[in-house]
Amino acid sequence: MENGHCPKILIVDDEKGLRIGTKRLLEGEGYSVETAENGYDGIKLGTTTEFDLAIIDLKMPDIDGIQVMKEILKVYPDSVCLIATGYASYETAIEAIKFGAFSYIPKPFTPEELFQKLSQGYSRRELILEKKKWKQEREERLLEVAFEKSRLNTIINSITDGLLVVNKNGEAVLYNPSALKYLSFDQIKIEEYIIDKLHPQIAELINKFLSSQKCEQKSFSSEVELKPNREFYVEATSSPVANPDGTLAGVVVVMKDITELKKIEFLKSQFVSMVSHELKAPIAAVYGYLKLFSDTSIHLSEEQKLNYLNRSQIRLDGLLKMVNDLLDISRMELKTVNKEIKEIDLHVIIKAIIELFQIEIKKKNISVNVKSSEMLPCLHADQDEISRLFTNLISNAIKYNKTNGSIDIIISSSGNYIILEIKDTGIGLKPAEKTKLFQEFFRAKNEKTKDISGTGLGLSIVKRIVDSYSGKLEVESEFNIGTSFKIFLPLRNGINNKEQKAGN
Amino acid sequence: MAKIAIIDDDPDILDASSLVLTSKGYEVVTATNPDDGYKIVKENSPDLIILDVMMNEPDDGFFLAQKFRKEKISSPIIMYTSVSKSLGMDFGVNELVPVDEFVEKPISPEQLIEKVEKLLHAKGGV
Repeated sequence: MENGHCPKILIVDDEKGLRIGTKRLLEGEGYSVETAENGYDGIKLGTTTEFDLAIIDLKMPDIDGIQVMKEILKVYPDSVCLIATGYASYETAIEAIKFGAFSYIPKPFTPEELFQKLSQGYSRRELILEKKKWKQEREERLLEVAFEKSRLNTIINSITDGLLVVNKNGEAVLYNPSALKYLSFDQIKIEEYIIDKLHPQIAELINKFLSSQKCEQKSFSSEVELKPNREFYVEATSSPVANPDGTLAGVVVVMKDITELKKIEFLKSQFVSMVSHELKAPIAAVYGYLKLFSDTSIHLSEEQKLNYLNRSQIRLDGLLKMVNDLLDISRMELKTVNKEIKEIDLHVIIKAIIELFQIEIKKKNISVNVKSSEMLPCLHADQDEISRLFTNLISNAIKYNKTNGSIDIIISSSGNYIILEIKDTGIGLKPAEKTKLFQEFFRAKNEKTKDISGTGLGLSIVKRIVDSYSGKLEVESEFNIGTSFKIFLPLRNGINNKEQKAGN
Repeated sequence: MAKIAIIDDDPDILDASSLVLTSKGYEVVTATNPDDGYKIVKENSPDLIILDVMMNEPDDGFFLAQKFRKEKISSPIIMYTSVSKSLGMDFGVNELVPVDEFVEKPISPEQLIEKVEKLLHAKGGV
C-alpha cells in the first residue's frame, strides 16, 4: 500500500455475498485478497501461505472461526487475525482475543469500519515483523561478537610474544600463555594486584603510566634479564590503553624474547675485545722496543739492538699474519667468497705445500709420508680453500712436532666421503686444551709451546672451511705422543653444486 | 736498590720492561706464567710486583694478586692491562681488586717509572 508493499489478506466466510463484496472492496484499495468459503478451506489456505492479515467469520457450518484462527496461528504465529461476528458481544470478543485474535469486527460493517480495523491490524503486523527482524539481527550480532572474541583470544594466545594487560589499579586483566612462561608464573589471577610480583624493570615500565594516570600516546621499552647469565632476555614494551573519553584504562606490556640476539651480541663483543687484545700485544711489544731505542738514558749494545730489531720484525710479521687471517675469517663469515668449484688433485696441492715448508722440515729433520688409496674418487672443491686447509694443518704438524719426528698424510675414501688424515708425532694436547682447539685465538700454552709463534686462528679457519663444505672434522691427540686430524669432505653435495652456479 | 718482580707471558714485554727498570738501577726478576711468578715472588720477596692481567686466562693476573694478598705478601702491585677502556672491560682501582696501580699497554716507560717510584716511596714512608 503505502510503501509499495501489497498486504496479503485472507477472508474466510461462508456468506458468498460478503466474500465477494469485501474482496472487491479491498482489491480496490490495493490489497491482495484470497477467500475461503468454509473453515476447512480457510485452514488449508492460511497454513500453506503466510498472510499478513486474516478476517475470519466466527460462525461457520463446519469449523468455527476461533478454531480456524488457532490452526493458522500454530503455523504462522505472526499473521494478524480479525474475527468477524454477527453476534457481537463482549464475551465473544474477549474469547477471540484470548485465543490470539488482534481484534474483532461486528457484522455488518461499513467499508470505513473495515478499513480502519485493517489499517490497525496491518500496523500491528508491521510492528511484529520489525520486532522479529531486530531480534534476529541482534542474535546475529551477538554471535558475531562471540566469534570475534574467541578469534581474538586465539590470536592473543598463539602469539609467541608475552602479553600482559593491567588495569589502572595495577591489577591483571588479560594475559597469554607466553606471558606466564616468560614471567615464570604458574598462574596469574585476574583482577589481583600484580605489579609487586613482576620484575622491577617491568613494574617500572607499567608504573610510568600508572603513577601519572595520564594516557599519553607513547611507549616505554627496556631490555630485561629475566634469568641471570644471559639465559633469558626479553625486550619489554609498555603502552597505555585508553578509555573512550581519553583517560587511562590500563597498560599493556608486550615481552619479546631477545635471548639469542643478546647471546650473539655478547659473543660479538667478546670477539672484538679478544681481537683488540691480540692485536695490541705485538704493538705493545714493538712499542716497548722502540721506546728503548729512543730513550737516551738507556745504553744498548749492538747485539741488543740487533736482537730487538729482529724481535720487532717477528712481532710485526705475526701481526700482519693475524690481520690477514682475520680478513679471511670475516670474508668467510660474510660468505663473499665465491667458491670456484672444480676437480682438484690433492697430490699436487700437498706436494706444493710440503715444498713450501722444506726449510722448516729440514731444520727439525721431520720425515713426511704421503699415502693414498689407489682408486680415489675425484674431489670437487675450491683449490685455494683446500690449499689453505692443508697449509694450516701441515704448518701446525711441523711447528708442534719433535725434532726427528714424522708427519703422515693419508688420503682415502669411504662411501660419499673423501677422508684426509694428518698425523704428527708432536707434543699433543691435554684433554682440556682439546675442547678449546677451534676457538679463535686459542693457543695451547705450556712449557713446550712457549717458543712457537702463531695467530691462534689457523684451526678456526680450517674448521670454517670444512663446515662450508658440510664436512666433518675429528681430532685425536695424546699429550706428548702426537695429534691426528681427520677431515671428511662429501664428494657430491648440494652446496657444492649451488656454490658452483653462484660462482659462475 | 729495590727489587722488582715482573710476571708477563709476553717475553718481549718482559725484556723491554726489565731493561727500562734495570737502567734506573732496580734489580729485576722475571717469570712468564703465574706458577713461575708465584715462585719468584716467594723466593725473592720483591719490594714491588708487576703483573700482566691476562696470561693464559683473562683473569690470571687477578687471581695471582689475590693469592699474594691472602698469603700476606703486601708488596705493592702494578697491573699491566691491555683491554681498552672503551670496551668496558677494564677494571677500576677498588677494594675488591688488590692492586695498587694500573699501567695500560703499550707501556710508556716514563709512566711506568713514575708509578714504580711513587709506590716504592709510599712504601718506604710507612
